[in-house]
Amino acid sequence: MVNMKTTLRDNNLDTKVSAKTIIETIDLDFYYVPEEKALKTVNLRIPEKKVTAFIGPSGCGKSTLLRCFNRMNDLIIGSYIEGSVLIEGRNIYDKQVRLEELRNKVGMVFQKSNPFPMSIWENVAFGPKVNGVSSKSELDDIVESALKQADLWREVNDRMDQSALDLSGGQQQRLCIARTLANKPSIILMDEPASALDPISTGKIEETIEELKKEYTIVIVTHNMQQAARVSDYTAFMMVGEMVEFDQTNTIFTNPKKKLTEEYITGRFG
Amino acid sequence: MSISTNEQFRKKVDRANKTARIIISFGGYGVIISIIFILLFLMYQSLPLSFSVSIKEMLSFSYDKPDKRIIAIGLDQYQEVYYVLNDKGYVEFYRLSDKVLLLRDSVGLNKDEKILSISKGDYLKDRFAVGTNSGRIIQAEIRMLPEYGKQDRTIVPHFKVKDIYQAEIPTDSIPAHIEELVFRQNDDYDFYVWINHAQELMLRITDDYDEYRKDLTEFLGESKLTKLEMDYNAEKLIAGTISGELFWFDISDPEEVYLKDNWKVSDTPVSSLAFLIGSNTIIIGNTDGQVTGYFPTRTLDNVFRFMPVYSFDTHAAAVEQIYISPRNRTFLTIDSHGKAHLNYSTTNQTQIEFKPFDNTVQAGAIAPKSDGIILIDSKNQIGHYKLEDEHPEATLQTLFGKVWYEGYEKPEFVWQSTGGSDEFEPKFSLIPLIFGTLKGTLYAMLFSIPLALLAAIYVSQFSPKWLSSVIKPTVEIMAALPSVVIGFLAGLYFSPIFEENLMAIFLVSIVVPVVSLFGIMGWRLVPEVQRMRMPLGWELILTFALFIISVWLSFSLADTIENLFFAGNIKQWLYDAWNINYDQRNSLVVGFALGFAVIPIIFTISEDALSNVPDSLTSASLALGASRWQTVYRVVIPAAAGGIFAAVMLGLGRAIGETMIVLMATGNTPILDLSPFNGFRAMSACIAVEIPEAPVGGTLYRILFLTAFLLFIFTFLINSIAARISDKLRKKYARF
Repeated sequence: MVNMKTTLRDNNLDTKVSAKTIIETIDLDFYYVPEEKALKTVNLRIPEKKVTAFIGPSGCGKSTLLRCFNRMNDLIIGSYIEGSVLIEGRNIYDKQVRLEELRNKVGMVFQKSNPFPMSIWENVAFGPKVNGVSSKSELDDIVESALKQADLWREVNDRMDQSALDLSGGQQQRLCIARTLANKPSIILMDEPASALDPISTGKIEETIEELKKEYTIVIVTHNMQQAARVSDYTAFMMVGEMVEFDQTNTIFTNPKKKLTEEYITGRFG
Repeated sequence: MSISTNEQFRKKVDRANKTARIIISFGGYGVIISIIFILLFLMYQSLPLSFSVSIKEMLSFSYDKPDKRIIAIGLDQYQEVYYVLNDKGYVEFYRLSDKVLLLRDSVGLNKDEKILSISKGDYLKDRFAVGTNSGRIIQAEIRMLPEYGKQDRTIVPHFKVKDIYQAEIPTDSIPAHIEELVFRQNDDYDFYVWINHAQELMLRITDDYDEYRKDLTEFLGESKLTKLEMDYNAEKLIAGTISGELFWFDISDPEEVYLKDNWKVSDTPVSSLAFLIGSNTIIIGNTDGQVTGYFPTRTLDNVFRFMPVYSFDTHAAAVEQIYISPRNRTFLTIDSHGKAHLNYSTTNQTQIEFKPFDNTVQAGAIAPKSDGIILIDSKNQIGHYKLEDEHPEATLQTLFGKVWYEGYEKPEFVWQSTGGSDEFEPKFSLIPLIFGTLKGTLYAMLFSIPLALLAAIYVSQFSPKWLSSVIKPTVEIMAALPSVVIGFLAGLYFSPIFEENLMAIFLVSIVVPVVSLFGIMGWRLVPEVQRMRMPLGWELILTFALFIISVWLSFSLADTIENLFFAGNIKQWLYDAWNINYDQRNSLVVGFALGFAVIPIIFTISEDALSNVPDSLTSASLALGASRWQTVYRVVIPAAAGGIFAAVMLGLGRAIGETMIVLMATGNTPILDLSPFNGFRAMSACIAVEIPEAPVGGTLYRILFLTAFLLFIFTFLINSIAARISDKLRKKYARF
């Protein structure tokens, strides 16, 4: 593992980030179709064990960027990248990288909760199982601790065999978080995880995120600026595929360096 | 004004709604009603099979010459005329409706001469012979032929004496009685066997030129004879004794008549004997009322013996007369108390017991079409009965159980609906047909399920778009291929090739998996970087190349292997080593052909189900680090389980109901054998094959309808179960 100290680079977005960098993009371009950049030369360093939020208007590329980190964009036929994404110093687009290992390390929670049509236990145990854990007792331990971390254990421990589809929307989303945690990833990507939830469920998710950042690096895409302000340590503001500004959340919301950022934050567009 | 037009418009819309509702519900209910109608129609057509036998008294009247002793009575085929023959040798024909005497004639007995014994030559021929108390045997002919006028039909009786033979010469001290007589006629000879006053058993075989006469008494030892019977082909002579023993003489060669076997039926005297039509089964009545049926069958020591196969309800008194049906295995037994039993041999059943008269029965007959009975009692009271028993050969036991048919060594499931002669007994076990349907379905499913499902998984989950856009329409064209074409190709083109290259095809089924395995192992040796570089779709081309190589390998190795291990001929080897018979049109060929017809159904429906699994689930699985294949079998397949199950069940339903392929690609032999190298006969094919041979309203016709009904129920059940289970699976897995 290579832990890179953040250093100043010839990039106007570089800030005084003091934590270790875990994800770094270098001149990242992304194309859904040839010749049309969806991400334009994105350079970014995401610190370890912090919550980083991506904000920006719809279609600005924040989800696209997020999906570059676990190569989910690979599924989109015809898309490709230029530049590189380093995670713990290693380019994940390198041919040597095994996708399964990468995704095991970089978990993802989707916008719409998508539990498998299986029991709660099966859902949480899915990741460890496909990654080679087969002992029942080991799986039981993993499931329990994952559910506890996702703050769902108390609600479901007596009905582990029930279908996950019987849970409420918020519970389903927390189940999806637990499912991701069961893989013991180092990074969790969250793509608007609370956008389909009511305020109470959203609050619970945010509490969970607060808990999780002690152990995990979290990158969250949100269109809700209050949420970004509440949960994140760092915020990146993007527009039409460009990284406009990246800094500590406090700074972004109180003292943005770019006019565009300020206009967006204060609600003049978006 | 605008309101009124609006109202008009509303009304118009309402009217359109109403009409639409009526038409749509008419369509919906119409479908349900027509299905129910089909079901009811099938039931209606097959239900008469279950009707039980009935005997209805039509007429009861007294013959106007009470002092005459009647020894024989009979009916014409339309039951319009009856005759009586008395012991003085006079025969009289009467019309049943008005008792008008149509003809009176005589066999021409001398004064004081009386008929002691009588034997009808056959159940359908018109000859009979009588034996008298002065040693004469007289053969005569009785015919009642229909003559057609302009509007009506009249039955014209004929009577003619054909032959007179002085069998025994009476002397002053000894009368020459013909105590018992049996007379038969075949294409070559007339056969007479009689017991004379001295208890001697005499045989005379004669044609226009020769005469063989033989005394068979020496074979009998001390036994005292009671009854004689001969089969209608005049090959087996059976003599019953007072000690309940039976003697079987083989008389098929007139010059070499010999005692073939003898056996004991009972401790009581044999009081009546009769062969049923078909000349195999002999019904034996004893004085203790026992009625049993025997027919010759090959025993363990490889000789033919009469075996006790049937036994019927016991009479309370001696069984004195047996009258057989000229149509089927029905026969009437009458005891010395005048009680009658109507029996059916194959089903081993006594169907009806009745007492026609207060007195004992003197003589009787079953009408030529087996639809009537005429009986006369000792006081010359005549009873005419209508016999309704259209389908005696179809019972639950014969349709679904093992039946011991004549000539078989043991009870078996047999389907053999028609035979060469009227004497043939139809055998209607549905078990071989049901078995055939299931067997064909099994082999078809074994072939089609893996192929169709794997193809569906590949197309929906792995193949590049351009490839699936080629594969899907191709499979749909497969579905559009008429099954008669598939059947034709399979039966006439493919099966000879299959037979010729049997060894190669066996090898293919072994070599393809082995080569594929090596192929996969070899592929893993290729550096990952290079593997990743291969564009999607190329794996198919590589696989295909492997397949071609395996097939080529199999065909080029076939001869060598066949020579080395299977003595140059695998079919012969199979037969020698395993006693497996290879039919050219066998279940494997059908499995391929029927499977070919089923694949499109399974493929299309399961491919739809697999493609409809939402991307969010696949993404979730992939994001958790699952590989493509792990995602497919852990997430996609369970989520699509309902649809896949429905696809398989629909394919099953299609395979069960499929007709042309199984008709053309099998030999349609209704045998119970699981061997893949035998053919079979499926229910659907049986209906198609036999409907032209089934007279409307006949037993076969109704049984074919019953078969159709069963087929309907089969497919109905399968589809209902499929719908229920796939619904449940869908509820369990598919709430996203």
